[in-house]
Amino acid sequence: MTREAIQAVINKHIMEISEEIQEAQIDPSRSMKDLGLNSLDIVEIVSCSMRELKVKIPRSELSKLTNLDALVDILHQTVAQKEQAPAS
Amino acid sequence: MNSGSESDKFSLADFFLAETDDPLVPPPDFLKWRRDVAWAISLYEPSLGSAAEAICQLGSRPVINMASYGYLALMRHPKIIQAAKDALDQFGTGSCGSPILSGRTTLHDQLESGLRLLTGKQGVLTYNSGFAGALGTVAGLLRKGDCAILDERSHTSLVDGVRVSGARLAFFQHNDPQSLDSILTRESGKRRLVIVEGIYSMDGDMANLPALLEVAESHRVGMLVDEAHSILCCGPGGGGVVEHFGAGQRVGIQYGTFSKGFSSCGGFAAAAPEIVDYLRFYSNPYGFSCALPPATVAGLSAALEVMREEPWRRERLWENGDYFRQQLQRLGLDTGDSDSYVVPIVIGDDRAMLYELGHALRDRGLFVSPVDYPSVPLEKLRFRASVTAGHSRESLDQALGIIADVIVPAMRRRGLLKGVQV
Repeated sequence: MTREAIQAVINKHIMEISEEIQEAQIDPSRSMKDLGLNSLDIVEIVSCSMRELKVKIPRSELSKLTNLDALVDILHQTVAQKEQAPAS
Repeated sequence: MNSGSESDKFSLADFFLAETDDPLVPPPDFLKWRRDVAWAISLYEPSLGSAAEAICQLGSRPVINMASYGYLALMRHPKIIQAAKDALDQFGTGSCGSPILSGRTTLHDQLESGLRLLTGKQGVLTYNSGFAGALGTVAGLLRKGDCAILDERSHTSLVDGVRVSGARLAFFQHNDPQSLDSILTRESGKRRLVIVEGIYSMDGDMANLPALLEVAESHRVGMLVDEAHSILCCGPGGGGVVEHFGAGQRVGIQYGTFSKGFSSCGGFAAAAPEIVDYLRFYSNPYGFSCALPPATVAGLSAALEVMREEPWRRERLWENGDYFRQQLQRLGLDTGDSDSYVVPIVIGDDRAMLYELGHALRDRGLFVSPVDYPSVPLEKLRFRASVTAGHSRESLDQALGIIADVIVPAMRRRGLLKGVQV
């Protein structure tokens, strides 16, 4: 799965949570808080994105991320590791 | 909790969204995590074999109880118990229905009169649950298209109330008037309500009410103050943080609970009669839930009377809180922003240590609750100690001795102890 596809999943969930946010407003170099989203919105967006991507990263690791780019990176790495792992 | 195991990385924050197809099947990874951390979680929901007093029975042994919210130690007051027993004899076990359809008792009217005196507000609505009452008060006032602006450390009941209402939820930085100003400006044009707490439950610090009110008033936005941990305990007459700051006329609505200062159960909203009358029909936890049991109500009215007769309880509460907090600081421990009888002992981000120390404290006879992420920030895990008017100086010193033996060496070994102030 490409990095762009992962960004698209996150963007979709951001726009589902907040009707006021348009895709053009989502700047990956900034945080979701900068978009006016609150901490509970962010938990829901990240949880829904992880569920769709079928990966799970501890929230304690995600809490250190500072912007959307970093979130896309960690999800991209985790999805890639899962795709490369032999099927159990 | 086994230090270094995979499960240590996860917390309750990780299982909110279940990954099963059937809501009646709990997430398997949650069940595995629950088994893996069973030792840590065994510290929660202990069974008490006595009243939740300053010294209580936990299992088969007495412990110093610093986990109770019964701040004024009213839970076994003879006058309150007698009032509840008399009401039980006269009015029976329950209210048997929603107040609107099934009525309530004259005892409820008396309690509301007492609460009007306590708060200085002429409208009062009582709820059978503190959590549901807070949720219902907020949800009864706000609608989709509105915006609630909460202090970022606000209790879940307030947050859930906003979510149920469909209003937009925005947070301002804790106790920061500039941050509140900026969010109010951003959300201008909407119907807005500012929501703060009197004393914050996990940090024990008081709302910066004068400065926050000034900002809210400059935007012509009203304020709700949740006095869950401050009603009856704070202010010269027990009217909460609002009374402490002499802000009664400036705060639109006060919310209080009965489970803490009153040592009972339930909650109430106090505001202008017109607002309360509106809430009566639009706050569903009131209209669609049973009225408080008569015995509880009689006990609450008696508690109000006792606190008029025994103001020393409030004075001792604050003296005990100040003493305990200052002694912890002398040990070099971090008590965060606390300036009240709710005293956190912040230990940092080591979750394994939190539970190891929690068990060691419990083994030594101190009942104090560990508070883990996500209830508090990951780097500020803590024990949350509640000081009460019922603690003797001797019991506080014993608790401090146990903390000095258990927490201080562990923090020192990890280089986490603050400079000791002698």
